[in-house]
Amino acid sequence: MIPDLFQIGPSLLFVAPLFAAIAAFVRPRAGAGIYLVSAGLITVASLALVLMVGTLGAWRMDLGGWVPPLGIGWQVDGLSVAMLLLTALVMGGAGVYRVAEGDAGHSPLFWPLWLFLWGGLNALFLSADLFNLYVTLELVSLAAVALIAMGGRTALVPAWRYFIATLLGSTVFLMGVALLYGQHGSLDMRLLQGALGPAAIELLASLLITLGLLLKGAVFPLHFWLPAAHGRAPSAVSAALSGVVVTAAFYLMVRLWFGPFSPMLTPALALALGAMGAMGILWGGVMALLQRRLKMLIAYSTVSQLGYVLLVFPLVASGILAAQAWHGAVVLILTHGFAKAALFLSAGVLIRSLGHDRIDRLKGPGQGPALAWLAFALGAVSLVGLPPSGGFMAKWWLLQSALAAGAWHWALVILAGSLLTAVYLFRVLGGPTAGAMTPSSDHSTRAMGFTALILALAAWIPGFVPIPLTGALADTWGMP
Amino acid sequence: MTFYLLLATALFLMALYGVFASRHLLRRILALNVMSTAVFLWLVTVARAAPGLDPVPHAMVLTGIVVTVSTTAVAVVLVVRLRASHRRHDLP
Amino acid sequence: MDALVPLFDALLGALLLWLAWQSIFAADLFRAVVSFMIFGLLMALAWVRLEAPDIALAEAAIGAGVTGALLLSALGRLPRERYAEAAQHILSHSYWLLFWAPVVLLAWFLWSLEAAPPSPPGLGEMVAIHQPAAGVDNPVTAVLLAFRALDTLLEIGVLLLGSLAIWSLGPSPWSTGPAMPSPALPAMARALFPAFVLVSVYLLWRGSHAPGGAFPAGAVMGAGGVLMLLAGARPWLTGGEQGPWRWLLTLGLGTMLVVASVTQFAGYVFFQYPSDWSGRLITLLELAAGLSIALLLFALYLGGQPPVRWRDRGWQ
Repeated sequence: MIPDLFQIGPSLLFVAPLFAAIAAFVRPRAGAGIYLVSAGLITVASLALVLMVGTLGAWRMDLGGWVPPLGIGWQVDGLSVAMLLLTALVMGGAGVYRVAEGDAGHSPLFWPLWLFLWGGLNALFLSADLFNLYVTLELVSLAAVALIAMGGRTALVPAWRYFIATLLGSTVFLMGVALLYGQHGSLDMRLLQGALGPAAIELLASLLITLGLLLKGAVFPLHFWLPAAHGRAPSAVSAALSGVVVTAAFYLMVRLWFGPFSPMLTPALALALGAMGAMGILWGGVMALLQRRLKMLIAYSTVSQLGYVLLVFPLVASGILAAQAWHGAVVLILTHGFAKAALFLSAGVLIRSLGHDRIDRLKGPGQGPALAWLAFALGAVSLVGLPPSGGFMAKWWLLQSALAAGAWHWALVILAGSLLTAVYLFRVLGGPTAGAMTPSSDHSTRAMGFTALILALAAWIPGFVPIPLTGALADTWGMP
Repeated sequence: MTFYLLLATALFLMALYGVFASRHLLRRILALNVMSTAVFLWLVTVARAAPGLDPVPHAMVLTGIVVTVSTTAVAVVLVVRLRASHRRHDLP
Repeated sequence: MDALVPLFDALLGALLLWLAWQSIFAADLFRAVVSFMIFGLLMALAWVRLEAPDIALAEAAIGAGVTGALLLSALGRLPRERYAEAAQHILSHSYWLLFWAPVVLLAWFLWSLEAAPPSPPGLGEMVAIHQPAAGVDNPVTAVLLAFRALDTLLEIGVLLLGSLAIWSLGPSPWSTGPAMPSPALPAMARALFPAFVLVSVYLLWRGSHAPGGAFPAGAVMGAGGVLMLLAGARPWLTGGEQGPWRWLLTLGLGTMLVVASVTQFAGYVFFQYPSDWSGRLITLLELAAGLSIALLLFALYLGGQPPVRWRDRGWQ
């Protein structure tokens, strides 16, 4: 009998990282090898899923054959596979960077934790069940806190702050889930769609869930924990955290508010979410400008850039070019993930070769390994949103939607945010480019710079070939 | 059963206040534990009020209890490590 | 008799509120932790009152037992002079929104609760209909290991991951055995441990048709192990790469992953059990999960990566 690819594909994404985590724990000496094999497998499977959804359309799985509300469902649609692909490339790339970095001074538990994080993220993006999502969120948080703490003594306090914030977020989230279950006897997102009305208890549940996610997504003014946690973690971990882990909260907000919670998305609520996003864009940008250390600057930039995603709520609620707006938000999540991972990884290479990341002592691309600077510059251009990068595509779509709806204030915020991004990133890049530009001295620095470069290039792809991506995204259940 | 729903709400709010109001890190862990217990109480009360005892929330709570003890253990160990390396057990 | 029920509820509720308050706001941290443990025990009573005996067992063993022991051990590692530090009330600005938003929401909700008390539909009937197909008699076991088996797999994953996270933070800090709370404890614990094992086995066996099962059984076994440790027994779990421990810790997760994925190659969907095998597979998963839960709870309590040989750390 031929195994069913529609079953095998998603289940492989879930099972492979967890099996690999077990193997890497039991045989720690083989950790890097186990990681490379499983990463290859998962990346190929993620790409295959994108192609399958793009050509054959989305599908759902009932695990164990038990149909929700009794069982747990998985959805494999445009939005899910886009996030799975982001996870595969960022976790894969940052992991290869870690392999290239070499074993010196690394805990043998890094690989099991890393693979658990990957497995948890894949489970999160597949799941359509609210309680199951809670368990995956906890899995992701636990793996993330242990990985942050690997940044050494200075990372302990940020790790604690992150952990307490994320645990509080999960508990508030779970309270919302409990309220919903009490009303509807169902946890499946698709079954809840249409069942929810604007009743008080349902609005309360959705707001509690959103509050938990706002905390996990470090949305202004709940961003207090993010910069230090992402700035102090080891560079590969920072890339994964900023590129994928925080975005999981935004993914869930988009999925829920355009899915089951859509009857409750009043203009006032959409405006409130958009305003928090706008404040985040500006505040994060200004704070990034004031940083003295490169990794802290990149971390504040995450607070700023992810603010854009929340603009999708007022833009879609306005109803004009709605599809454009939400495609823009998803492409922004993707290109931000790739570009941000590239920035953190190239910062890691710079720290390794220069011994510090003080911005005033970085003399621009004239000094240090060329590959890392190239990756940094390419990532920065996409983050700012200059054509023809992927970041341009994302911000252009958001801007078009804002202009078409006559929402000048959002258009202004989008442009101001881009300007701020340009100022703080080119402050780093603005040095003499010609100088003692050295080709990377040793083999491993070169390999590390190369992975950063690949990720930076990934952030440019949607700028050149937006069609297949939007084709797959169009088949997202519940979206405009 | 409304009584137990009210009790769960009261415990939840008290614990929420505790998470913010206390400085000692262990207290915050205790408050978070009380908070999850409040959510579990809500779920089990809902199960009891459903026609013919609903086993699904029971399973959810059993899962939740095990998840909570794992996160609590990591948080407690983190506090012990923080104390060893920073000589402090309170953070703003 | 019925008149006593509201009285019992009111008394239990008041006690729970008072103990919760003590465990969060008591000036003395030791007292707070002990209040939390009693809170856990009383919660077990509330679970029984709400007809959830499985949860009562798990709560008593995990909520009061393992969590309490962990907190007490941590307290022993923190400086004693600061115990009596008063609970300080600080609310920094960024917290205000986070705190007041749920308060306002819940207040408004309580107001609306009066208007329309919730009437949960529940899934009890649906579980009862499909339970025979899962091949188990206990509805909670059917939900945990058949209908929502993915949650359980992830839960075991969270336990294992928690232990790994703790190991990654450093070696076990309880280096030479905890301070003896009572001289009578060692003898008592040694006498009690067989009882813990017997209770666990009984719960596991009973779980196929009545409240009980792998989770309470594993929890009770794990709590028994922690009690032995508190009584001064030398831990047997070691952190070296050799030996059976790493395999045993991952046994539960590994077994569930294998069972979930293998049947796909015989034409079933992910996590589907062949109907003839369902009952037996669930029993296998229960055994593996129960053993893993017990071992992993014990590993969590150790607070760090155990040494390769405990004898080198001064344990007798």
